[in-house]
Amino acid sequence: MKFIISLALKNLSRYRRRTLITAFAIAIGLMMFIVVDSVLIGVEAESMRNLRWYETSSARIMHEEYWEERLLKPLDISVEQPYEIISSLEQIGIPAAPRTTFAADMILYSDDFGEDGNMSVQVTAVDPDLDNTVFRFEETLIEGRFAEAGANELVIGSWFAEDIGAELGYWVTFVTRGRGGFYEAMDMQIVGIVNCPNPNVNRTLLMIPIDVADEYLGMEGTVTEINMAIPERSDISKEVARIAEMLDDSSQRVKVARWDELAQDYVALAETKRGGTSMILFMVFLIAAVGISNTMLMAIYERIRELGMMRALGMSDRAIQLSFMIEAGGIGLIGSITGVLLGVLGNIYMVNVGVDLGFLMRDLDMGYRIQSVMRGAWSPATLVVAFLFGTLLSMLVAYIPTRRALKMDIPSCLRHQ
Amino acid sequence: MSQTPIERRVVMIQVQDVVRNYHAGETVVRALKGVSLEIADGEFISIAGPSGSGKTTLLNLIGCIDALDGGEITIDGTRVSQMDKRAKTEFRRHNLGFIFQTYNLIPVLTAYENVSFVLSILSLPEKEIEERTMRILREVGLEGMEHRRPDRLSGGQQQRIAIARALVKNPKIVLADEPTANLDSKTGEEILKLMKQMNEKYHTTFIFSTHDTMVMEYARRLVSLHDGQIESDERR
Repeated sequence: MKFIISLALKNLSRYRRRTLITAFAIAIGLMMFIVVDSVLIGVEAESMRNLRWYETSSARIMHEEYWEERLLKPLDISVEQPYEIISSLEQIGIPAAPRTTFAADMILYSDDFGEDGNMSVQVTAVDPDLDNTVFRFEETLIEGRFAEAGANELVIGSWFAEDIGAELGYWVTFVTRGRGGFYEAMDMQIVGIVNCPNPNVNRTLLMIPIDVADEYLGMEGTVTEINMAIPERSDISKEVARIAEMLDDSSQRVKVARWDELAQDYVALAETKRGGTSMILFMVFLIAAVGISNTMLMAIYERIRELGMMRALGMSDRAIQLSFMIEAGGIGLIGSITGVLLGVLGNIYMVNVGVDLGFLMRDLDMGYRIQSVMRGAWSPATLVVAFLFGTLLSMLVAYIPTRRALKMDIPSCLRHQ
Repeated sequence: MSQTPIERRVVMIQVQDVVRNYHAGETVVRALKGVSLEIADGEFISIAGPSGSGKTTLLNLIGCIDALDGGEITIDGTRVSQMDKRAKTEFRRHNLGFIFQTYNLIPVLTAYENVSFVLSILSLPEKEIEERTMRILREVGLEGMEHRRPDRLSGGQQQRIAIARALVKNPKIVLADEPTANLDSKTGEEILKLMKQMNEKYHTTFIFSTHDTMVMEYARRLVSLHDGQIESDERR
């Protein structure tokens, strides 16, 4: 065994150039894997965080029938006495805020916008006092201020504002059907523009005070949803079960949904993307594997006579096989160590600086809830997997050509030029 | 050392009606056509003949590195032709030494390592490996060169390593396929003298193939092959 290892190591240094080139190819493949994986993890983690902070919150309470009808945004299927529920939630340490979302036609006037027009939109009515205890809009205001309770005021997403040419002080009218089916028109003045890390919000956000919406829409104190901020480190499923149990005791027919249930479209998209990126990663590995395999094939091919001599002198096929696999493993080890180190260096940059894709994200909806900078995230498991994969794969790909060479008869090996 | 008459010595190798055919597409090349031969323990025998006569094939069959199509080979009472691949490997490891025309040394290993490698695969203790390796290197005249790699040695010196490698495990038989073909005549003669010296000292059976008349001169027995058959078997 000592001899086999010693021979393998000597061959590594004997074919130094081949060793270094192959190890470098493995290293580049692994570095790409580590960095790409880091970015994917980082982007997903940030997307999920931005979903919770700006769209879905950690969990949401709705009327139990609302979920089925949610695409229609019915105002008559609502949660009654929301502030009692919010108060109960606050007592168990969970900040909560009511919201009412409704579909409307937004009418734009030529006096402000240069041209008359209208478009279908979704409006979110929020409680100005409570909303920022659940969502994180405080830091996102880039112009003006937040809407005040009781005022016909509107806060709009920055990209939406850009798209329609909206500025502070402009007026719009929302035409919608109130609770019970009557038509209502609401005139709102833009008082604030927000730009948050969630591009989806920047593209669509229209936020008005909930008390104003309540009056216009005849909600009679009901809301379509209560959003909650469950502490980040808590087990959301457990907390949701606890809240659901608490609400069971009340007379309300409500349902509590986790953020990932609310963002099913994103979760499905993320999973699809994960599948796609796994394929890319697999291809990266496949290319590396073919490269290593080819190199090992060449290395073995040029040493067939040596291999024949070893067999003639009584070295077992198993020992020869092992020697070549250790040699390949050595190349894999050098490549893997280098690859992991390069990956770590790449990751330091990706985690701390990232890549600014703002120019792309502005006009292209990739599904991720990231506005501009794609950052990586540390994943020790990826480093370990990359290291083991690089080393073991190298050994594995050496197995096949060695096996093939060992199938040749010894005289043919000895005659081999 | 005087030769013992064959009838009074132990028969080391028995080759009986050995047939070996090679297939080249549709064509069947009959390399050996029923060769029979007995080689005694400690003989220094040359298998001679022109290219394609079947001498390397016969050597390969005795060396258990090729499979025969007919007949039987017995070495020291063991019917090697009946053995499976693993048993042949085991047999070669313990009983046979090989010297190749092109030396076939492992270029990354030193002279010492090239020789000791055959003892390593026998899993002998480190101390014994060292003692035996150094002794044989001394005997083949490579003392002081044990740390040199093959690329820093002449052809003759490389073949001396190959001889040391073949003999270090005290095999019953050493098979040498055209051992001097890559050497100039002076070095070739030195190598032959060394082989003969080792044959006399260790009483190891030496079988070597050649088509060189100078080499044939050194053999105590000359078996001539022609077209896959024994043409003559001459003892000296």
